[in-house]
Amino acid sequence: MIEIKDLYVELGNFTLKIDNLIINENEYLVVMGPSGVGKTVFLHTLAGFIKPKKGVIRYNNIDLTMEPPEKRGFAIIPQDFGLFPHMTVYENIAFGLVIRKIDRNRIDELVKRYAELMEISHLLHRKPNTLSGGEKQRVALARALIIKPRIILLDEPFSNLDPSLRVKMLGFLKRLRKQLRFTAIHVTHDIIEALELADRIAYIHRGELKGVFTPSEFVNTQYAKPYMNELLLVYKRLKQLGIDNVNIVT
Amino acid sequence: MIKIEKFLLTLSIIASLGILFILTPIIALFIAVDPNTLVKTWFTDPLLSEQARNALLLTLEAAFTSSILLMIIGIPLSYFLTRYGFRGKNIVEAIIDIPLMIPHAVAGIMILLAYGRRGILGPLLSVTGIVIEDSFWGIVTAMMFVSFPIMIDTLKLGYLSIDESIELVARSMGANRLDTFVKITLPLLLPSIVAGFLLSWARAVSEVGAILIVAYYPKTMNVLVLEWFNSYGLKYAVSLSFVLVLFSLIVFILLKTVVKK
Repeated sequence: MIEIKDLYVELGNFTLKIDNLIINENEYLVVMGPSGVGKTVFLHTLAGFIKPKKGVIRYNNIDLTMEPPEKRGFAIIPQDFGLFPHMTVYENIAFGLVIRKIDRNRIDELVKRYAELMEISHLLHRKPNTLSGGEKQRVALARALIIKPRIILLDEPFSNLDPSLRVKMLGFLKRLRKQLRFTAIHVTHDIIEALELADRIAYIHRGELKGVFTPSEFVNTQYAKPYMNELLLVYKRLKQLGIDNVNIVT
Repeated sequence: MIKIEKFLLTLSIIASLGILFILTPIIALFIAVDPNTLVKTWFTDPLLSEQARNALLLTLEAAFTSSILLMIIGIPLSYFLTRYGFRGKNIVEAIIDIPLMIPHAVAGIMILLAYGRRGILGPLLSVTGIVIEDSFWGIVTAMMFVSFPIMIDTLKLGYLSIDESIELVARSMGANRLDTFVKITLPLLLPSIVAGFLLSWARAVSEVGAILIVAYYPKTMNVLVLEWFNSYGLKYAVSLSFVLVLFSLIVFILLKTVVKK
């Protein structure tokens, strides 16, 4: 369980305030909010790249607030996936294990297992610049999951993908969650991602956590209104066009 | 369509003029070489050839040492300048670029005042056995001073081209600062390290003003070219210059080929 209490971050004129937030084991928390409200700052503070002015970040009652990023066990996946361009896919996935000085044979076994799980076994010898967006994302997920992190921090993971790939990856991530059970914080401003993936949705606005809701609660809040209006607009338009039945392929 | 062709044609003419501008002096030098003097200078005349060979070796060795030392200093210094913000950073960056702006004879005087026997840090250097007046280390110091901004600015550009989020990912995967630097940053910086080395080496080889003030002896190629030009005339100076230019060209072509591979 991750507990965030009275967190206060100051970056120039920008401030971020999280009074109280608990993320349970194996929970998938989606953090929503418009652009520039501090969602990435929140992730970077959790990861240890930004030191808060006040507050506490705990994992199972262990205080991590002042721990450096490498000692937190929080694996981050940035918007552009952050693959190491000079390494092959294999080396990228193995990176965290090599750092932990795991036995070579064990690394090989694990990398192959995770590559299979992510359906990227055929890409292991390739360099990141030869991969598609979806492939890069699977590599980033494998690299993060293989170290069995306490939590995975995903920063707008689908924003660089085209719509068809996004739908595919949403389905893939949902299946992966069922298979592997991991705790995650997923930052997005996309309501579809939030409703599809979230166990709960935290809403941040103007640098402040406004509340944490289940998806069904969230759609009825004032915060969801602009997103719901957008969805309704699409729905109405589809109806006008006579499209009542759409098959979603994942 | 015609407009594009005209545009390309104009660009090609300007580009060709640029190439011609840089190529003409090189061709002129190659044409001016007298084969007999060249052989005499480098092989048959024992006195002249010894001087020429020693000067060439000394120049290459000093430039190499200077570039290696600059690389050792430059990698951490540029890292701080690009990865951290601190008060007075602009002033530090301006100071680093000073050697680009001042006449190199002035640079030589400044080096003497700082590191010479009677300079501010001279006594301290003497304790370690390093004296810069008329010594190998004097030449290296002068070369380092004038090449300093070239190495730092090249490495800074290299660091800036590395996406910082990659380093953050490595940290979150369990790599400490050192591991991240060695396994992620440094390999990605390698092309800039090679470029910085190459450019500062070239700058060091071409230096004469500061060296004349700090360490006339032992004579580097540039000092010898000047001296022979004054004592023996153009023919002998050309024989020296030809080999230096040829050598620099070969080194540049080789290194660029290696980097591309």
